[in-house]
Amino acid sequence: MAKRSPLFEIQKKLRARFIEFAGFEMPIQYSSIKEEHLAVRKSVGIFDVSHMSNVWIEGDDAEKLISLTTVEDASKIADKKGQYTEILKEDGTIIDDTIFMHLEDKFMMIPNAGMDNIVTDWLNKKAEEHSLCATAENVSKDYVILAVQGPKSKDTLQKLTDTDLQSVGFFGCQYIKVADVDCIISHTGYTGELGFELQITPAKKAEMVFNKILEAGKEYDIKPIGLGARDTLRLEKGFILAGNEFKGGRTPLEATLGWTIKWDHDFIGKEALLKQKEKGDFDRLTNMICIDKGIPRHDCIIQKDGKKIGIVTSGTLSPCLNVGIAIGYVKPEYREIDSTLEIMVRDKLIKARVVKPPIVPKDWKEKN
Amino acid sequence: MGDEVRTNLKYTDSHEWLKLEGNIAKVGITDHAQSELTDIVFVELPAVGKEVKKGDELCVVESVKSVSEIYAPVSGKVTNINKKLEDAPETVNESPYDQGWLVEIELKNKSEIDKLLTADAYKKII
Repeated sequence: MAKRSPLFEIQKKLRARFIEFAGFEMPIQYSSIKEEHLAVRKSVGIFDVSHMSNVWIEGDDAEKLISLTTVEDASKIADKKGQYTEILKEDGTIIDDTIFMHLEDKFMMIPNAGMDNIVTDWLNKKAEEHSLCATAENVSKDYVILAVQGPKSKDTLQKLTDTDLQSVGFFGCQYIKVADVDCIISHTGYTGELGFELQITPAKKAEMVFNKILEAGKEYDIKPIGLGARDTLRLEKGFILAGNEFKGGRTPLEATLGWTIKWDHDFIGKEALLKQKEKGDFDRLTNMICIDKGIPRHDCIIQKDGKKIGIVTSGTLSPCLNVGIAIGYVKPEYREIDSTLEIMVRDKLIKARVVKPPIVPKDWKEKN
Repeated sequence: MGDEVRTNLKYTDSHEWLKLEGNIAKVGITDHAQSELTDIVFVELPAVGKEVKKGDELCVVESVKSVSEIYAPVSGKVTNINKKLEDAPETVNESPYDQGWLVEIELKNKSEIDKLLTADAYKKII
């Protein structure tokens, strides 16, 4: 049976429709995906993302363990700072992408939904193999994670805390009281908008925080947001989704995450990446906007002049642009910005233009 | 919104409706179906003149997150399609029984009509 968020009952009252995602029964939508999507782009929305995992990493060598098992040099991440990174296998393929937060003498990592045991076991195994004094503890079930996202997210949350949120810089993180409840706040998100994420324990206190945020956001017309809009929001920004963009073994170079790799430290998978980088002939994640009508979906084939040159990993109708958009892996010689490709949707070839991410630009709201 | 069933129509258990006008059947999806799909953003219609058998895929209706096949409730030839939906697919949400119809089919075998669900029978399955 699927796990449920501690907020399940309140979501039911808010008329959520549920789906099963990575072993969790979570809201897919409340009102409509389009409406929820635009609420986040234009004002503010609140997401329950408790299906994501929480892992504490502690011990004298905690920082070394993170540097060893991710592409980030954790010694460069100061207290009260977070970082987006990936955990790789020896062959350079991604096990998971994650954010870790430096909180005083320990680190909290947020692996993807359903990845809690895999990541925790991997970290502990590598600590042992490399004789590092560090342990990873899976505390996912103790936490509720709320994301408050959108241009009005700061104004909404500021009403509920004495901490000046201006002091929490981009990717900053710290302990905080929100609505009198102890939380960890981070200036992070998955929507490309101004936004914050809260880690709340014990989980039973989260319902009150959730309700207080809805109340505080009333004047901005805050909406609860489901996983449907979470997916369309991230796709419009070209953000990758575990299970779509790195299913079946993709490296950070293929997933165009080269910018996250800190080459001047040693980490698991580095050698394989160096070899791949030198060869340079690998498919790369490519962002596309459809010129013709139609909506590309996962696994649609990408063509050029009748030849297969790639595959779509995520596609949807963009609620902001009102056209089909997609990301997918394309052979390096066919992904120049503004070039035209074709995507096979059922039995029709649809023309699409290669664009630089984000697919929906930062100033979309100002122009619409 | 969401559960209107009209007594003058016939239904299928896959949530299509059919309205008979002489030998021509107008086909669409029910209010229940559009409300389950939500946010219809794309409708792919068949070519006029296409011959379909009962149960064949007739159209594709897409919401933001889902792709749904619509099946022919009867056999026959497609004589007309609702072109308006190509530019305004949301019409299916707004007016599933009137402006949001999908296609018209010239019936090949009128007796197929008798096998469709009545409004009362359809109400019981939604």
